[in-house]
Formats: sequence, structure tokens, C-alpha cells
Amino acid sequence: MIFVPITYKGGVFRHDEVVDLIEDLGGYIVQKHMIAQEVVLQCLVPKEDVELIEAVGRPLGGEVTLAPLVGTEIAVVSPSLEIHHLPHSSCDVAEYLRRAGAKTNMVGLARGFGKRIANLNVEERDTINEHDLAVYVLGNFETCIEEKFPHLRRGVHVPIVLTGAPPTDRLKAVIDPPVEGYVGEMGRLMHRTKRPEELSVLDVMVEEVSRVLDEKRAAIAKDPLSVSPARLMDVILEKVPDIHEVTHPTPVTVQMVGLRVKLPYESYAKPLRALEIEEGVTVGDVADVLPSKMRNYIWIRIKPFSETNTMV
Amino acid sequence: MAALEYFAVECAEEKGREAYERIANDVLLDLDLVRLVSKLHIFIDPRVPVFAAVGTTHAFGGPVRVRDFADVNVDEEGRAVLSIGDETYLAPMLLALWNRFGKDYVEQPDRFSVVVTVPKGEDPRSIEEIVVAHPEEGLYKDLVYALQIIAPEGFKVRREYHHEGVFYYVASENTLDPEIVETLVAEKLRLIGVTL
Repeated sequence: MIFVPITYKGGVFRHDEVVDLIEDLGGYIVQKHMIAQEVVLQCLVPKEDVELIEAVGRPLGGEVTLAPLVGTEIAVVSPSLEIHHLPHSSCDVAEYLRRAGAKTNMVGLARGFGKRIANLNVEERDTINEHDLAVYVLGNFETCIEEKFPHLRRGVHVPIVLTGAPPTDRLKAVIDPPVEGYVGEMGRLMHRTKRPEELSVLDVMVEEVSRVLDEKRAAIAKDPLSVSPARLMDVILEKVPDIHEVTHPTPVTVQMVGLRVKLPYESYAKPLRALEIEEGVTVGDVADVLPSKMRNYIWIRIKPFSETNTMV
Repeated sequence: MAALEYFAVECAEEKGREAYERIANDVLLDLDLVRLVSKLHIFIDPRVPVFAAVGTTHAFGGPVRVRDFADVNVDEEGRAVLSIGDETYLAPMLLALWNRFGKDYVEQPDRFSVVVTVPKGEDPRSIEEIVVAHPEEGLYKDLVYALQIIAPEGFKVRREYHHEGVFYYVASENTLDPEIVETLVAEKLRLIGVTL
């Protein structure tokens, strides 16, 4: 079954019918927002059933759109959390990625500013490496990006999309070794991105991030995961009742090759490892249950089929 | 920026120049400093690295006195009755009155009135001349804050100056040689027709 990421937007009235339909079709609801009278469902659904969901949602005022980044967790790396970089443009970038379905986390570096003094500490590096992709939101000068970027990427092994004010071809020219994606014409600014030319750059950024993640998906498909992250999320939501007591918007965050479970590692790692998925196969058999660098959460990294010889 | 007599950004990189022109424009408008600054020249060289902003400010009147925002009348008991027209400087005014006459002699029966019992032999109308605030000081702090935001974040080492309507702000990541600062500032000030 091929799953496609979609966003369903509709009214609260009878939305449970759509939820039931998605679950009956074998799809997964990755995130559900209820904002006043509106419901937004971010889900992975079987490709052949998208039209059916559209047809069922239409009389309820529901709208289905393809959201290429559903089921991904992206780090938006900002040189600092000062007014120079926040809320514009780092938050604008994060918001745009969220609209495309991604779960974003802002990583504000302790010393990411300055071309001579910029660096990345171990905690920041490990936090970034827990994501599917990192978007580096850098500034306006080619000289600075060229000099500081090697320090900011040291030890980061997830795909990187670099943004900055110089044109894309200049960014490509100054970065060595190359990173996975580049978005030019998007540097530091002090106003909300609202002009058409600024918004079109953000669209280009979402396309670039989608392209890089598609390449990552293609690489994963060559050696598929032992269990789909969305399915594992469903198992945890069903069999670990304490997860429903968590007040975070996404108590279980789906990533491309894993999950972030927002429960304390010390008390929940052992029961999670022993949790049965199907026919005696436990989470511990098909995944590494690791302490996350974010607070005391649990980070589950699913092993590929070649490592476990199991597929559930 | 239309409201400024002179506004220019000079930079080795064209993209950076355009970006900083927009940033300076946004920050000065956001902080409502366009009415204060009359000329502004920004020079940035990321290779050195150095950021220099030089300019002039409009003459901004003198200190604010009680008479500028309150009417002072004398009642039959010889007390000064102040009717406040603009509350902006009410808090610093109360502070100035407390310091001079003591809290026991300053009453505020309602939001817009203050009654002061002045010592015998003193003219109640002299209260009109009490200096309450120096707005230029606050504006200078606002200007430095704005330039700090405009300058690249890593440029933490800085020199700033403001005297008789001329200001400069030089920042870098590295130590700033006073001689280089002087030469650079003098050169850029010449562009806006000012000599220090």
C-alpha cells in the first residue's frame, strides 16, 4: 500500500466520520488540531483512497490538500534567538514548513552568530541530528556564510537545506563540501514576509525541502524500515494509555525513520522496548529506544529490514 | 527612506547592501526614529569585518519643564495646583516634586491634578520651571538600540558617540583600533557634509 501525505481541513461538525473513514481505510492521523470551529488533520492515507476522502468530506465543508511534509520533523536552525533572527525570518520559515505538514523545532544556537566566533556545541549538534532534516537560516553576506557555515555543520549528518541572501548559485559556489539543498534570496530581514517575491521564495524553500526529503525517502525505500513510523505511533497510542495524559500538541511525533515519544525516558523506555507490535515482535526487536536530547523524551529509531530481517 | 534628508548604505556585496537598506528602513520606522534622524550613512565590510553608521539628528529642543505639560495655579491657601495636560511626564514630575518638597507636601487628589504645599517664602509659580526630563537622553538610547539591531549580530565590540546632533556607531567582531575608527568615521562623515 502506498501512502500519501494529506491535510484535511474542515468543520468540527461530523468530523469524526472522516476520522473513522481514514482509520478504516488503514490510514494514520499524524496530527490533529482543533482550532475553534475548525479541524485540521494531517494524515497519511492510501493513495487510491484520496478521492474517497474528498468525496466524504465535501458535504461537510472539508477540503483535502496534498501536504508533502506530513510525517517529518524538521529542525530550523537559527544563529541565535536574538531579535536579529527572530521572529523574522526564522519563525516565518518554520511557519511555512508547518503549513506544508512538517513538525518543526527551532534550534537557536548559543554561539551561531559572527563569522569568526560561530560554533556549534555538542548538545546542539545531537539535537539537530535527531531530526529528519535541518534548515539553516543564515544571513545576508556571502563572505560570512562561506566562513561560518563549516563550523555550524560540523558533525551534523542529517540532510541540510541552507538559506541565505546571496543567490542560490553563489551559495552553491561557496559551500564545500556541498549540502543537500540551497535556497537563495532569503536572508535576514526585520519585517514579516508578506511581499509576493518574499512569499514565492518561501514556496521555493518548501519545494527544496520536499525534494531533499523525497531523495531521503527513495534512499530509505532501498532498505525499507522494519515497521512504518506511523504504524508504530498507532500501536503506542493504543497500548500506552499514559500517552493520552501528555498535554503536548504532538505527544508522539512521527519522523521518517522514527518517533519522538514525549514521555520520560527513565520510567517508560523499558516498557516501550517490551511493547508488542504484532505476533510476538516487540518494539525493542525492530527499533532502538534512545534518550532524546530534547528534555527527557524518548527517541525511537526504527531499524531497517536488513538489520532485523523482520517486517511488521 | 523618503523622510530622511540623506540615506545611503555602502557595502562590498550588492545583495548585502540591498538587504541592509531594507533592514535599516524597517528598524527606524518600527522604532519611530525617522523623525529624529536627518542623515544616515551606513558602511559595512564583512571581510574586515566592520559596521559603521554615521549621521546627524534633528535639533530636539531642550529639557522638558513642568510648564510644558501642566498649568500651575495658586489657590487661596497659597498652594500650587497643577493641572496636567499630558500624562507622559507625570511619573518623572512626581519624582522631581517628591525630591524637592518631600512626599508629605505633594498630593494627587485625582489623575490629572497635583497639589503642592510650598515652603513659606517660596513662590509657588517657580514650580513651572522645574526640569522633569531630558528626552534627548532617551532618544539617544533608542538610536543606539536601533543601530545595535541593524548591525550584524556578531559585531559585539562597539564604539558609539553622540554630541550636538552628530552621531556615529562603529561595531566589529574584532577589537576596534581607535585610529581606524577615527579615520573611517571622519571619511564617512565627510560624505554627509560633517566634520567632527
